Amino acid sequence: MAMNGRRGYSSSLVDLRVGEVSREIFVNEGIYAEEQERIFARAWLHVGHESQIPKPGDYFVSSMGEESVILCRDRTNRIHVFLNSCRHRGMKVCRYDEGSTTVFTCPYHGWSYGTDGRLVGVPYFREAYHSRLDKAKWGLVEVAQLANYKGSIWATWDPAAPPFTEYLGGFTRYLDLQLDGWDGREGQAEVLGGVQKWLVPCNWKFPAENFSGDTYHNISHRSVDLAGIGPSGAGRRDMGERDASRKLHVCIPDRGHQTIHYILPAGTAPPPAYLNAPVVAEYFRHCEEERRRLRGEEARLVGAPGEIFPNTALLSRQPRTMAVWHPRGPHQTECWRWFFVDREAPTEVRQFLRDYYIRYSGPAGMTEQDDMENWNYAHAASRGTIARRYPYNYDQGSGTAVSNYEYQGLSVPGEVIDLTEAQSSEQPMRNFYRRWAEFMEADDWSQLATWRSAERKAAE
Amino acid sequence: MSVPINIRDLAPGTSVMLVDGAEAEIVTNPGDGVWLFARYLSSPRDPTLIGQEEMIFAQDIVGLGRATAEPAIVGTRPKTQ
Repeated sequence: MAMNGRRGYSSSLVDLRVGEVSREIFVNEGIYAEEQERIFARAWLHVGHESQIPKPGDYFVSSMGEESVILCRDRTNRIHVFLNSCRHRGMKVCRYDEGSTTVFTCPYHGWSYGTDGRLVGVPYFREAYHSRLDKAKWGLVEVAQLANYKGSIWATWDPAAPPFTEYLGGFTRYLDLQLDGWDGREGQAEVLGGVQKWLVPCNWKFPAENFSGDTYHNISHRSVDLAGIGPSGAGRRDMGERDASRKLHVCIPDRGHQTIHYILPAGTAPPPAYLNAPVVAEYFRHCEEERRRLRGEEARLVGAPGEIFPNTALLSRQPRTMAVWHPRGPHQTECWRWFFVDREAPTEVRQFLRDYYIRYSGPAGMTEQDDMENWNYAHAASRGTIARRYPYNYDQGSGTAVSNYEYQGLSVPGEVIDLTEAQSSEQPMRNFYRRWAEFMEADDWSQLATWRSAERKAAE
Repeated sequence: MSVPINIRDLAPGTSVMLVDGAEAEIVTNPGDGVWLFARYLSSPRDPTLIGQEEMIFAQDIVGLGRATAEPAIVGTRPKTQ
């Protein structure tokens, strides 16, 4: 593995001057091991949603990188995220996917923890430990920081990481499209049904870059479009609002977040959608009307696939879903997909959306199956000694991004490429891998929070 | 050796005898098969424990208490996917 630079990630393995990324970063076991320390132990990661743990004692077992974690609500209603590993010998203290409990008991030797993480039960505490074990010191390991952003729960192991909203930067606008109500009210989303979980034999960065905004692979989904799985019986989704909009790639350069994004022309209402079910169509028509009333010009924003660095994917409309790409070794990814609906949505709307969502996404979803096939075989064909010698090409649209983009009075901060005519660019992938290399190079958050030094200079 | 009791089946209000001769009444059963939250009714070894609530380890339970005739079935178990 040839490397240059201080650690060899920037400008060697990730060479954005020529738009090349080495296959090593997808298949090399040493690089994968470094990612766990330098990315997954430092970045903010999506853990779950508060609607999954509505009552005290409720828990949902999630994952942060390779680590199993417990998202739970304690007796006082406070939300926690703990490492799912007994402090005595490391056994998982919770082996269910979700449920409700008063304690997490290790089945190995019986150490037991409250839902606030405190060690509350130690077998033979008086007899064998002579009451000398300091229980306060041996509670469950808790994340360094936790954020509840409009009901979505995020956490980081790094106490020096910036607060979550600072980590997002200008990307809050796009996460809001996911979590706010269809009618424009804040934080109305709740999880619909269970979380879909499945394994794909590929590196976690394949789905991460795909959801960063790969508009180039639409040909892969040609068969789904022909089958017509969409909610109006044609294509894979309703295209009316997209066809009427400007189509953009939006990248937040110093954060590593990026998305596809659409903006409707000023004064334009979205065309009718969900035409296979009159009740659902009327519900969304009403919601869109309310959204325009509440949000004004901002209601012209139409969400599309995006990625919050490193491994959380957004898709705020058709289907409305979030995914996390959990690394499970360099050659395997465990995909978790949450589906969302507004908490006050009528039953008929929920049922219609549920059917559409699982027809589209997840291991049985026709569109996601196309994606998985690509990631699977691209990864397998990149592992060989010869294949590793040849980098991937990420040069599409290099040098064409603009800042201060504006469309009919609506400004879009960040690096933007207008795809309405260009159709596609690889700016989002370049943005993703630039940030990836920064994480792999940086010693700590004083180097990673690059925007802070820029802000300091601007203030001077 | 006494026959082990499946403590997951014990309802709050049931009393249990402990290995040191104490008797305790179950307050909460977390259903994990390892622990019970119980209040001491008697404790020959340490009378100061009487009235106190503690977590009782399954292996310290040697039988049902004097006030208990039949164990009652309790609680829901966590759901799996």
